[in-house]
Amino acid sequence: MHIILKSLVTAGGLALLSSTAHAGTPDEPRVVDFKSLERSIGKRGGSIDMLMAKPKDVRWMTVYSGARLVTYDESFQLAPDILKKVENDGNKSFTFHLRKGHLWSDGQPFTTEDFRYWWEDVAQNADLFQGGPPREMLVNGKMPKVEIIDPLTIRYTWESVNPLFLTALAGARPLYIYMPAHYLKQFHGKYGDPDKIAALVESEQVQNWSSLHKRFGRQYRQENPSMPSLQAWTNSTDLPSERIIFKRNPNYHRVDPEGTQLPYLDQVILNLASSSIIAAKAGTGESDLQARYIRFDNYAFLKKGAEEGGYNVRLWPSGRGSEMTLLPNLNTKDEGFRNAFQDVRVRRALSMGMDRSEINEAIFFGLGREASNSVLPSSPLYEDSYANAWVEYNVDKANALLDDAGFDKKDEDGVRLMPDGRPFEIIVETAGEQSQETDILQLITDHWKDIGVKLFVKPSQRDILRGRVSNGETVMSTWQGLNRGLATPEMNPEELAPVSPIQAQWPMWGNFWETKGASGEEPSLPEVAQLSKLYAQWRNASDYNTQHKIWKDMLSIFTDQVYTIGIVSGGLQPVVVSNKLKNVPEEGIWSFEPTSYFGYYLPDTFWLDE
Amino acid sequence: MTIQSNSSLPAENTAELPHYVSDAEFDLRSVEKLTAEQEKIYFASQLTLMWWKFRQHRVAVWSGIFLLILYFSILVSEFISPWNYQTRHTKHIYVPPMGVHLFHEGEFIGPFVYGLKRKLNLETMQREYRVDAKKTYKLSFFCSGEKYNWMGLIAGDNHLVCAPKDAPFYLLGTDRLGRDMLSRIIQGARISLTIGLIGIAISFTLGIILGGMAGYFGGWVDMIVQRMIEVLQSIPTLPLWLTLSAIMPVSWSPILVYFGITVILGLLDWTGLARAVRSKLLSLREEDYVLAARLIGAKPARIIGRHLVPGFMSHLIASATITIPTMILGETALSFLGLGLREPITSWGVLLNEAQSINVVAIFPWLMLPVVPVILVIIAFNFLGDGLRDAADPYK
Repeated sequence: MHIILKSLVTAGGLALLSSTAHAGTPDEPRVVDFKSLERSIGKRGGSIDMLMAKPKDVRWMTVYSGARLVTYDESFQLAPDILKKVENDGNKSFTFHLRKGHLWSDGQPFTTEDFRYWWEDVAQNADLFQGGPPREMLVNGKMPKVEIIDPLTIRYTWESVNPLFLTALAGARPLYIYMPAHYLKQFHGKYGDPDKIAALVESEQVQNWSSLHKRFGRQYRQENPSMPSLQAWTNSTDLPSERIIFKRNPNYHRVDPEGTQLPYLDQVILNLASSSIIAAKAGTGESDLQARYIRFDNYAFLKKGAEEGGYNVRLWPSGRGSEMTLLPNLNTKDEGFRNAFQDVRVRRALSMGMDRSEINEAIFFGLGREASNSVLPSSPLYEDSYANAWVEYNVDKANALLDDAGFDKKDEDGVRLMPDGRPFEIIVETAGEQSQETDILQLITDHWKDIGVKLFVKPSQRDILRGRVSNGETVMSTWQGLNRGLATPEMNPEELAPVSPIQAQWPMWGNFWETKGASGEEPSLPEVAQLSKLYAQWRNASDYNTQHKIWKDMLSIFTDQVYTIGIVSGGLQPVVVSNKLKNVPEEGIWSFEPTSYFGYYLPDTFWLDE
Repeated sequence: MTIQSNSSLPAENTAELPHYVSDAEFDLRSVEKLTAEQEKIYFASQLTLMWWKFRQHRVAVWSGIFLLILYFSILVSEFISPWNYQTRHTKHIYVPPMGVHLFHEGEFIGPFVYGLKRKLNLETMQREYRVDAKKTYKLSFFCSGEKYNWMGLIAGDNHLVCAPKDAPFYLLGTDRLGRDMLSRIIQGARISLTIGLIGIAISFTLGIILGGMAGYFGGWVDMIVQRMIEVLQSIPTLPLWLTLSAIMPVSWSPILVYFGITVILGLLDWTGLARAVRSKLLSLREEDYVLAARLIGAKPARIIGRHLVPGFMSHLIASATITIPTMILGETALSFLGLGLREPITSWGVLLNEAQSINVVAIFPWLMLPVVPVILVIIAFNFLGDGLRDAADPYK
């Protein structure tokens, strides 16, 4: 408390002193509605352990913590969280009201200065954002008018509608439009002491102040223990470390109905272990809350150890559009494969050449749905025709399609020859993180033999794979399906259009959009160009019905053209919860978007009954 | 011989002393004469001697027979295994090992298996199998079953034992894709037992030739070989394997990749053996019989091969029999690093690799059964090596 007081005094924030009266909560905290969420009032204290595999996994704490400017409420409508109030004027003008007395985790006030700093000194700084402000901030390439009305009120106004803005702020990996100015200014070329910056650039072995600013100012990946945060827990450990301790944020903005400040848990400890043994460790009760790195096929094992390990296991349905997809690279450098995959007949044939029911039976216990990579039935956008597009197992039709596409010659092993004379041997690169992928690919290898296509699996590593994809070096890769399997029309349909070079089915086209045409290639297929066009239209759509229609049009093209070959959807995610940990819902949805994995279920309300 | 008795001296000029003269021909060497049995030993060839000595080592003999049977089985793997090792029975995933029955309701009907009823337990998310005593599937012998390509060359469908289609005949259970474990173990033996031999052959040839040259000639030859060994031994193996795995093209068939790796391992593995051969030769070449051979005019190759190497054959055999199991285990290790064999090729290493997950240990323990042949083969090789080493030095 003393430290907080002192820092406040030195910062000249005397006016805010009164706020420290209630243990650091803002004057007008967000009172979490325990009744409608069916949560019990807990008590503060204690610490839980979780298992993670890599130092990079600290990012999941930001996802799990779930504090955002705006978040999704129980009915997936946007509601203010860090903000006290949002006034939305027809998706064109947004007025944000901050909570009075809201402090950063280091005790400094959180004000519109932090928004101004980001907008003027970070987003528009050519050293920090080379390509200009992020796309979500631009409408038709134009920036908003930003008005700072007072320290607690700020307004963003665009000429035309920006339906993306609020959903981006609520994302699992949110758009950050604020930064702790008081802390980061010391690294900024404009504000910082040049000698100090020069010394830091030297000692940190980076190139210039902007790298320094980026390194110390990461908000999504809380790697820097000194970086102030608004999340429920903040990192207190210098990386790299095998044991990363997150401590409660004493100035967190949520309280329970009795006025006790959240989060209940004092500490969340991430213990790093090899991903292959995390299931084994969770099975002996070494984790109090675990879902990452455990898979459906561990369920029986986890269930067996539940009593002894003092935990229980829940099954949460996955919110992904597909548990695994094959991504033919339409922009691969290999001309033969590029031509092949740009031919919709080949993509459809590959999809129809796999026996999804066998995969479902063998890998998913028969509980999955044999469907394309599309939205899930509980999404308001669902149509049977999307889910069933080209998923029927039909070797004859697949063979006919391939013959038709010019793959009608075969070599002595029965492998089709590509029009350029090479055998049609597809190398599928995986991130090598899950043995499930290899099992599924093994089955597909056998299925594709019947359509004269040979498949090789090349396990790689996530970052290497991403790099190879962006460079067009992969021919085909695997990834999970749509993150927004539970999409509503207001959610961003970016996954259906080429918008980013990490989209493994069209990295060059995605790059073209992301760099605003500076690099990459313009989509050459009319259907893909149509998707880009529809996406641009969605960005300008002002009402629900237009958004709904655009989403449907996009889904229809996306599934009919089979840009991604979905295999099985509707997987189940085991969630290990310690018996002592209360308030973890029995039923939930396991998805990155929109539920931020645990984030949507308010882990700050979880408490230990000891 | 001196006679020291005075009392019984014969009187002078007495008559001829009574005596006996044997009629038999005088044989100067009668005392040293060998019995027929001894003769057999003394005139036996070295191989015969080794064989006799070896026979006395009962455990080694049985180990040898066991290994011979296994090595014979790899010639007829497809015939012995009840199913194809790649055939998936999607309705029979993770079936525990099943027994064969002879009597059904007190009545003898010959070997048969019962049907299985599968229940998906949604509580534990496990497939539970119950024996369905109403259905019986009779087994047949020397029959036509699933089609196969013997050694990838000759098509056939003869099996030692077959069950009707869809019958749950899985003596050692099935794996996560419903593939019969017994068939997989039988066919895995083919790769596991043979592939290491190539590496050993290479490392032995190189080790004996280079080590022999270094030890016999000494001087600058020795110098060069020694430095070569030092350089090779200083290369760390793990980064080397990682590099190798990176440069092997993915479109190579898995078996080719593995051949490549064993050849390279063989090319790196000879150094230890070469050192041992060299030091043995350094001492043995000073023996008189080597000098004698050289004086007669024998060439170095003959002296090394004929006179020196047999002198430490026992040592070579010991290291060979230790290396074979090491190669079998090495295959497992390589598979673990993702450099060894890959599906769809099957070996014991691949099978064990699949059994690494915690699920297997806790819920499907029968998937670890390939450990049993690995252990048996390694023990057998060790006993066999023990017997051979004793036998290679029969005069001891």
